[in-house]
Amino acid sequence: MTTESTAAEPAASSEPTDVDSTAAENSASTGTPKSPRALARARKRQSLARFWRAYRSHRSGLWGLAALVLIALIALAAPLLAGADAQSVTDTPGGPLELPSGEFPLGTDQFGRSVLALLVWGARVSLTVGLLAAVLCVAIGTVVGIVAGHFRGWYSTVLMRVTDWFLVMPTLVLAIALATVMDRSIWTVILAIGVTTWPTTARLVRAQTLAVESRPYIERSRALGGGHGHIMLRHVLPNVMPLVLAQTTLVISSAILTEATLAFLGLGDPTITSWGGMLQDAREAGAVSAGDWWYLAPPGIAVAVVALAFTLCGRAIESVLNPRLGVSR
Amino acid sequence: MTAESTPALVQSADTDGGPAQPGPPAARGPRARNTRAYLRYTAGKIAGAVVSLFAVLVTSFFLFRLIPSDPVKQMTGGRPVSAEQLESLRRQFGLDLPLWQQFTDYVGDALTGDFGMSYQFHSPVIGKIAEAVPATLLLTGTAYALYTALGIWLGTRTAWRNGSRSDRFHTAFALTLYSVPSFWLGLLLIIVFSVGLGPIPGLFPTGGLESGGETGFAYVIDVAHHLVLPVITLVAVGYAQTLLVMRSSLLDEMGSDYLTTARAKGLRDDLVRRRHAVPNAMLPTFTLMFVNLGHVVAGQILVETVFSWPGLGGLFYQALSVPDLPLVQGLFFVFATAVILANTLADLLYPLLDPRVGR
Amino acid sequence: MDTPAQQDRHGRGRTHHRRPLRLLLAAGAAAFTLTAGLATPLNPAPERAKAADDGKKVLTVAVAQSVDSLSPFLAQRLLSTSIHRLMYEYLTNYDPKDNHTIPGFATEWEPSADKLTWTYTIRSDSTWSDGEKATAADAAFTFNKMMTDEGAATANGSFVGNFKKVTAPSPTKLVIELKKPQATMAALDVPIVPEHIWKDVDDYAKFNNDETFPVVGNGPFVLTDYKVDQYVRLKANKTFWRGAPKFDELVFKTYKDQDAAVAALRKGEVSFVAGAPALTPAQAASLKGEKNIKVNEGPGRRFFALATNPGAQTKDGEKFGDGNKALLDQRVRQALFLSVDRKTIIDKVFQGHAVEGEGYIPPRFSTYFWKPSDSQKLAYDPEKAAELLDEAGYKLKGDQRVGKDGKPLNLRILCHATDPNDKAVGKYLKEWWGELGIGLTVNCLDDVSVPWYAGEYDLAFDGWSVNPDPDFVLGIHTCAALPAKAKESAATDNFICDKTYDELYQKQLAEYDPAKRADIVKQMQSWLYDSGYMNILGYPNAVEAYRTDQIKSIQTMPTAAGNIYGQDGYWSWWSAVPAGDTSEASAGGDSGSTGAVIGIVVAVVVLAAGGILIAMRRRTTADDRE
Repeated sequence: MTTESTAAEPAASSEPTDVDSTAAENSASTGTPKSPRALARARKRQSLARFWRAYRSHRSGLWGLAALVLIALIALAAPLLAGADAQSVTDTPGGPLELPSGEFPLGTDQFGRSVLALLVWGARVSLTVGLLAAVLCVAIGTVVGIVAGHFRGWYSTVLMRVTDWFLVMPTLVLAIALATVMDRSIWTVILAIGVTTWPTTARLVRAQTLAVESRPYIERSRALGGGHGHIMLRHVLPNVMPLVLAQTTLVISSAILTEATLAFLGLGDPTITSWGGMLQDAREAGAVSAGDWWYLAPPGIAVAVVALAFTLCGRAIESVLNPRLGVSR
Repeated sequence: MTAESTPALVQSADTDGGPAQPGPPAARGPRARNTRAYLRYTAGKIAGAVVSLFAVLVTSFFLFRLIPSDPVKQMTGGRPVSAEQLESLRRQFGLDLPLWQQFTDYVGDALTGDFGMSYQFHSPVIGKIAEAVPATLLLTGTAYALYTALGIWLGTRTAWRNGSRSDRFHTAFALTLYSVPSFWLGLLLIIVFSVGLGPIPGLFPTGGLESGGETGFAYVIDVAHHLVLPVITLVAVGYAQTLLVMRSSLLDEMGSDYLTTARAKGLRDDLVRRRHAVPNAMLPTFTLMFVNLGHVVAGQILVETVFSWPGLGGLFYQALSVPDLPLVQGLFFVFATAVILANTLADLLYPLLDPRVGR
Repeated sequence: MDTPAQQDRHGRGRTHHRRPLRLLLAAGAAAFTLTAGLATPLNPAPERAKAADDGKKVLTVAVAQSVDSLSPFLAQRLLSTSIHRLMYEYLTNYDPKDNHTIPGFATEWEPSADKLTWTYTIRSDSTWSDGEKATAADAAFTFNKMMTDEGAATANGSFVGNFKKVTAPSPTKLVIELKKPQATMAALDVPIVPEHIWKDVDDYAKFNNDETFPVVGNGPFVLTDYKVDQYVRLKANKTFWRGAPKFDELVFKTYKDQDAAVAALRKGEVSFVAGAPALTPAQAASLKGEKNIKVNEGPGRRFFALATNPGAQTKDGEKFGDGNKALLDQRVRQALFLSVDRKTIIDKVFQGHAVEGEGYIPPRFSTYFWKPSDSQKLAYDPEKAAELLDEAGYKLKGDQRVGKDGKPLNLRILCHATDPNDKAVGKYLKEWWGELGIGLTVNCLDDVSVPWYAGEYDLAFDGWSVNPDPDFVLGIHTCAALPAKAKESAATDNFICDKTYDELYQKQLAEYDPAKRADIVKQMQSWLYDSGYMNILGYPNAVEAYRTDQIKSIQTMPTAAGNIYGQDGYWSWWSAVPAGDTSEASAGGDSGSTGAVIGIVVAVVVLAAGGILIAMRRRTTADDRE
């Protein structure tokens, strides 16, 4: 990505939004016969580069991205950093609920395990759940949104009714109910979050779909014999993708918070270490009234940092796509 | 709050009824036609709300049937029961009927406000809910008023000073608090201000609504005292959303030509802001306010649990962990109904505020 | 021309616009500090402060449970039944020293020669709180109600299952006729209610006894006020026949979680915090160092066990469920037994706040307590466990035990999602059994009853609170307790059905000689131990704490190193002595110094707020200039 950023940098605010520019180039490309694939690749590279240049000018977005990269690296390197048996209870290095020390920088939990090591391992679960739940949520939302935006008639109405209905459900209440209905496992949590949060995405994508489909080149494509599938996949989908990307980043943030919430309520898998689960363990161990802040504070801070990082990235992406939102740099 | 959609996107999600054109308002034509159009719009929205309510009723019945649980065990607390006793309990709670009949009974009763008997409390569900409503309204209502006011105020300020240091500070601060899990913040506040940490004495009660036994003014003070920490938690986590929506819609509005015109006419910035920009930018915030209003009733499951608040959220979580199906169903219905009503109300008021909608 | 006017208007508008907001903020801050300031002087010990005000001695108990019903015919939770102990008399009571039966509402009781008729002499010095005399007729009414009205049998129906007829020939004489002999007739834990109040109740299944206050009773306390999910208030019954309680009022205050209750104790908001069922080791440790707080630890009445599914079946022997067939082999069950290090569980999970498990009945009940002989004992021995598994045909292949059918040995264990101990021990089991080559899935649910009754589990965390009379916990392992139909709820604990055990059970039930009965009960426990069906991991202690500056002394049960909350009887609250004048003096000193601290804190906060306001204003003007 960075290698492409040599071109002259136009002022971000005067630049047309990515959606528009790709759309324009897309429509232009239909007339070019020579190696369309190479052209498309070059175009993609260009727009990526342009996107990165614009993104780079958002300082908070960069901070968020840096934090995410760092945390992702830590999560991936968990076995190296924290040791593979950091979660074992039968062979623990410390005593129960020890204060932070040189050996245990964040103290120990009630089994004598290092809180820092658990935090590192917990990053894996929290990130995985956040990412997968967001992907599920955005996938459902995108499909529903595009279909509802593309087709007219009763099934579009029905789809939007269902969406509206989900939108009025108290999300957390519904997620708790779903998590209670199913087994305690991380898949349950992913499903509960994904299934309850998609309607916002669906409405966004539908609006964008309507906007894209009102453009003349769609008309042209239809006239040339492009079927529903062709239009939705080749024209609408690429044009809603940037929006979907921004939305995903923002949804991950709330998904991670919801995961922590569900785990805290005891609806997560108790045999897996996650940040929310750690908070629940801490509370059940009586750390709040005992004042064991080192056990309670780190998981909450970790959740907040990751959620904030994703939000910052999401906002930066969003304002690159729509400069009028005026996110501060 | 945590599972809500992300702030900056709320407005775009809600204005998709058709790409909103900032052009001249469509309020032309004879008044009668407008009224008729509004009535038709109203009828449509109300019909939609009724359909939604019915769907909620159906969901609340079937969703919670899926929870693996044994009602008789909930009713008897695991004590040994004779076969006859079992039979009579089943009959008493209508569990011996076929599912479809249980369903029609449930719907019929629900329409008259009867949600059956709680398994664990042996008393009508609607009574248990009515007992918990005032506490929830007090807590979330207070918090709602505060964070909406704070959000609008700070949102206006930050938008007006877009890019300034105070804007950056407030936006970053709000975003940070927005990313914090509410229950965790509550626990920390309890440790610091209630249990007391180091030199800080425990200033506030650890939980509950009242100490009990107080009357008159002392009672009011006592409740207010109990209210402080949970309200702070809710406001801290909640105001960011309003702030961000207010800020971005105001920024949107400020780019508009008419503001430039107003300024060119020689109006000072403050006047332009108060008279023109803010009222127009209020619309998306208004939507968000109503969305949040619906959730006032749903309460705050986590904050209520952490602070032992005797409200609906805590009751729901407790009922779910038993599980006390009739109570869970009743609460779920009440929560969803509140959201539907608030949304419908917003839909009905919206065209009166923004002439572009509802024609 | 226009401009100055506009500027003027604008100028005014500006101040108008800002001043209210700042005023609002200031008002908010003021209200905040005011409530803090106003309420805080009372706060270190509101109950004590009140005691000084109107001379009432109030004992506040923090509980992490809410009342399910105040009707003794419906209530099942420990909190509710504990409150009923205080409101109503039971026929008999238990001695706080050693649990033996002593007079309660009845002063004497004896069986007839054919063991089928019991005659109770009812005391004549007990009156209801509305002035009416409490008589044998009230007791007869209570039992008859439970025998005839299904709604009234909800909570305690099992006690009257074997009753043929109950009469009250005179105000001091109660006669109960039985269908067959029953040794538990001196342990009828049923609250006796006043007939003149309860005869007007239409529907016992719906009446929660919370409509008129005070609630008429004859126990050591009278219930005067109840607010759902918040508190239950009782006042001392000055005319109680055993003597009036020393505290004037007793309040049970509900906290949604135990941490909040502990914090409330630390601040003096409450006098006593009940563990639910015990304070966590961390809570106990942090409270131990506190001034004016005593952590009380007594032997618990619960056992904490692993139950094995021996193949679920109905009374007619119809098999159902999907319990792992490997567990039908006693050697496999014993191998699992041998590979659990109970000592580590006590040390690590309970951190010493429990006693290592041996027999089925906790040592608290010394009459019935049994422990395995050395040769019988299945101590931690993973090597022997591996041998037993080899013998049973589950050889180690790679790192997995594989049965003769070629399938690896994987087990599931049911755990209660609300019990942290279940989850913690589950982690250990997973590792211990993993080393043996047995896979384990820990399946935690809020309500385990559905898979449990359906027999769809291999192992389960199990635990029962044991009464002074062990009949109930023994009865749940008999064939008679099995369900009539597959997957229906029944009295059985985990589908054990064995002829030897059943014969012993019948024998002890008909044995009216205490020593002989105890001996039979021990034989039953020995059988259970060898079967490997029930692995008693430990007996968790009751861990609770109270403020010594509010409670001077309180009766524990058993007297030597016993517990306080959830006793068999009303001893603790009835006996509690309020701390005298000395503590009030010290409380005054306390709140004085706290007041000073608060004053300083408030001053600092106000100064800081002022500073921030000024700074913000400066910055605002700077921003304006931009």
